[in-house]
Amino acid sequence: MPPTPPTGAPLRRGLTRARPARRDVLRLAGAAAGLALAAGCGIRGQKRPEVSAAEFWDGRRRTGRLRFANWPLYMDEDRTQLAQFTDATGVRVAYDEAIQDNPSWFGRIQPILANGGDIGCDLMVVTNGLELGKLLALNYLAPLDHARLPNFAEHGADLYKDTAYDPGNTYCVPYTSGLTGIAYNPEYVDREITSLDDLWDPAFKGRVGMMRDPQEIANFGLLRTGAEPEKSGEREWQAAARALRGQREAGIVRAYYEQDYIQPLTNGDVWLTMAWSGDIFQQNATEGTDLRFVVPEEGATIWTDNMIIPFTSRSPVDAVMLMDFLYDPEVAAGLTEYINYVTPVPEAKDRILAHAEDAEGDDRAFLTELAESPLVFPTEDEYARLHGYVPLEPGEDEGFTSLFLGITQA
Amino acid sequence: MPGPSGTSRAPYLLVLPGWIWLAIFFVLPICGMLSVSLMTGNVIDGFGFTGAVGNYAEALGGYWEQILRSLLYGLCATVLCIAVGYPMAYWIAFRGGAHKATYLLLLLLPFFVAQVLRAISWKFILADNGVVLGPLKALGILGPDAHVLSTATAVVCGLAYNFLPFMVLPIYAVLERVDHSVVEAARDLFASRTQAFLRVVLPLSLPGVFAGVLMVFVPTSSDYVNAAVLGGTHNTMIGNVIRTQYLVNNAYPTAAAITFVLMAALLLGIFGYARALGTEQVMEVQAR
Amino acid sequence: MATTTQREPGSDGAAPAGAAIALHGVSKTFRSGQGEVAAVRGIDLEIQRGEFFALLGPSGCGKTTTMRMIAGFEEPTSGVVRLAGDDVTGVPPNRRDVTMVFQSYALFPHMTVFDNVAFGLRRRRVPAAEVAERVGAALDLVELADRAGYRPARLSGGQQQRVALARAVVNRPAALLLDEPLGALDLKLRQAMQIELKRIQREVGITFVYVTHDQGEALTMADRIAVLNNGVVEQLGTPAEVYERPATRFVAGFIGTSNLITGTVARRDGEHADVEVGAGGHVRVRTATAQGERVDLTVRPEKVRLGTAEPGPELCRLRGTVEEVVYLGSATHYTVATRAGAAIVVFQQNAHDAQNLAERGSDVWLSWQPRHTYALPG
Repeated sequence: MPPTPPTGAPLRRGLTRARPARRDVLRLAGAAAGLALAAGCGIRGQKRPEVSAAEFWDGRRRTGRLRFANWPLYMDEDRTQLAQFTDATGVRVAYDEAIQDNPSWFGRIQPILANGGDIGCDLMVVTNGLELGKLLALNYLAPLDHARLPNFAEHGADLYKDTAYDPGNTYCVPYTSGLTGIAYNPEYVDREITSLDDLWDPAFKGRVGMMRDPQEIANFGLLRTGAEPEKSGEREWQAAARALRGQREAGIVRAYYEQDYIQPLTNGDVWLTMAWSGDIFQQNATEGTDLRFVVPEEGATIWTDNMIIPFTSRSPVDAVMLMDFLYDPEVAAGLTEYINYVTPVPEAKDRILAHAEDAEGDDRAFLTELAESPLVFPTEDEYARLHGYVPLEPGEDEGFTSLFLGITQA
Repeated sequence: MPGPSGTSRAPYLLVLPGWIWLAIFFVLPICGMLSVSLMTGNVIDGFGFTGAVGNYAEALGGYWEQILRSLLYGLCATVLCIAVGYPMAYWIAFRGGAHKATYLLLLLLPFFVAQVLRAISWKFILADNGVVLGPLKALGILGPDAHVLSTATAVVCGLAYNFLPFMVLPIYAVLERVDHSVVEAARDLFASRTQAFLRVVLPLSLPGVFAGVLMVFVPTSSDYVNAAVLGGTHNTMIGNVIRTQYLVNNAYPTAAAITFVLMAALLLGIFGYARALGTEQVMEVQAR
Repeated sequence: MATTTQREPGSDGAAPAGAAIALHGVSKTFRSGQGEVAAVRGIDLEIQRGEFFALLGPSGCGKTTTMRMIAGFEEPTSGVVRLAGDDVTGVPPNRRDVTMVFQSYALFPHMTVFDNVAFGLRRRRVPAAEVAERVGAALDLVELADRAGYRPARLSGGQQQRVALARAVVNRPAALLLDEPLGALDLKLRQAMQIELKRIQREVGITFVYVTHDQGEALTMADRIAVLNNGVVEQLGTPAEVYERPATRFVAGFIGTSNLITGTVARRDGEHADVEVGAGGHVRVRTATAQGERVDLTVRPEKVRLGTAEPGPELCRLRGTVEEVVYLGSATHYTVATRAGAAIVVFQQNAHDAQNLAERGSDVWLSWQPRHTYALPG
């Protein structure tokens, strides 16, 4: 899931987004060539044999070096948490902001992992979506040794343990979470937005932004039609798609956005839009805007970016050490102060408040607001209204994505 | 041993790298993609060659709208490029004087910036209440709801802008070579300025226009960046579909089939265009 | 300013009825980054109807600029151009009844020979049948009727030249302006084309203005020649006048080979003067130069006789030593060092009774008729 640039400069946003498109071209060409070679006799199954945790960890030792692939702006420029990690453990970390979006990253690593190759990182962060599902189904990830994750056991919130997409955290440990809700610009919207109905309100014709990602938009369609995403099936999907198509054909939707809805929302090109919580918080904090983010009555989506270890990792021990280190409440607080998304470590809230006590002026106000923000530390009530993405069985996903891409890619 | 046979083989050896390049990076992938387009399966279990012609039915049936739209947008962008680029090329070639190189550099200067970033900068410029539309709305020239972004116009303009140099440069290259005395001869032989342009300069520059059209129409028709950044709800181009089919859905056969359909459509279009224009004539002038 | 045989134009600039083209006080100054360059500086010319007129001069003399002002591609900075008596200032090329034959031919490469030739007629909306007829006639004239369907790229240089000519002639303009039309051809073809051009001019009977730097071409073809240098007319006259009696040192040097002799006026006799040239040299010439003054004289090489016997007293004479002998078949060229210092070139026809008069190193007398000597203005 894309993080938000903490500096908030629109240009920087553009810069971080400039990369995937260009890279896609090269990769499409390369993958095409790879496919070509494989094509003579078909493309064989990409699945790897399943390995148990005991087998995987047998004889593994720390190497003192770790290669960490993460999203841009998911850690501060000084890599403070990594420096702390090196101080504490002696493991040196090569940090690479290599991941721009999930599909591209999956497309890049999949052919390599299929052949058991090194993908250039020992630890990476992937959203709980289609791509993570495929990585799991293809057995590309190392099963975790929970004996090595005491911090996670002690400080991780229950909500982030034993998730639907990865029961028992066999492969995934959350890095951060975020909400997908409705953001609106009160400069243009003169009423309080509370419901998904507002996204379908003809009064906002041509002023509503929706997300292009199939899973994101599907969830809103499902919630709108009264279905529960986690328990939905083909019938509910069709109903959701009808609702979304109706919204489009009524001319209410201006455009389907990837990560680029913030600027139109600020400018007033769109008045209300599907949005990620951290983006809105950041935009307000850095640009001085007064954008509102709401979790609609019908509910909203919570997604989680997960730390995972590719099975070809050269330093899995070092990787799992860093996973656990990030669950130290003090470290988690530091990370949250920078990225402004939902942390899976509830104790971080008190630490941030404590930091606020020690700080002065703007910093103090910022940290206080952060700790109190329901966008960073959702309340119980809000959590109750949050839903995960639609869990997709292998074989279901193509039909599902085609259905919803048919709406956003008309 | 140097000898006549050695020297006569040299040209063939020189083009060998080119052939190898073509074979590895064009022929092989094309054959591979063709085979992939006839497979069935999924990314988990693999894809097998089943001669699944149905992929093409899916490509045509499911995405004919995007394919036609892409060709239409490409055509509009190409026409726009000619309309804007021809006068530019003409001016630089005939009025550029000693500063031709400077003007060409100025033309290319924006293109040192990444394409995506340029598309994004358009979003700022063309925002509903931005530097362009804001004042027009304030003056009452445009209605309060008028917008350019998220429309087909924005996508076509973005395409035309991004590929303008590919139109200007070939036209310039041809115009620059036009002997100015030929234009004077036309004027001397009782042709007005307009007639001299229409009868002499324009026909002589057609090879450049032809090259420019190829260099603009093909990439604009398969572009996906501009539609993604500048488009709205019904502006998806076939490039976007191929990209998502490939990267999001991992539906390699479908992506490959759409690619071939698009390629066939483009080739047909170009073939028809060459026939209509008369390539022989174009080539003969160029061989001059 | 040059001496010309051109009479002064009337103050109102009205040309006599016969003048197809008239230039009155025409100047052209080009502005460039470095400043102003005067290409043409006050030219007066009248070109008669049906005349073959040559503008002759070295490159940069202003002849092409002069022609382009007649054609309408340049406007004079000052002065007036008249075509058939009408002031054409500000009239664009397509509205002037003159057509140009370009040095590069400037054929339209995308058109057939036929379409090239038909271009001007079609612009003037001549009916198609008449176009076909006139183009056919023009192509017959230049003997290219069988190439009508070809594109220029498939023709030889000489053929292209003739197409260019046909393309201009077919319009029956008041005047044809030819800008070094034979410059790109090889010597043999050029000589053939000179005759061809002259024939065509006779047949169509229109005024030809012919720009060239080749004095041989100008002398062979032109009815009258204007010799241009540095943007002014140095001399205007028939080929014989220009050749036999060069008005200026420049003309003498530029046209043919001239011997330049410097002497001192020893005695005046009416309009004539006896000039002493070195020891024993004596030339009688028509000049206004005063006694005791230095004077420059010129004589053409073919007028000079070379002999061992002292010439008669009525002849001009010099004494010298043969430095070089070049046998050319029909003639022999001698270079003779005179006592006066200057080397004199002598052309001697090898007639049936001529013998080899001198060899290298022998002392000889040079003599010629006084009417063949001209004094050059200081």
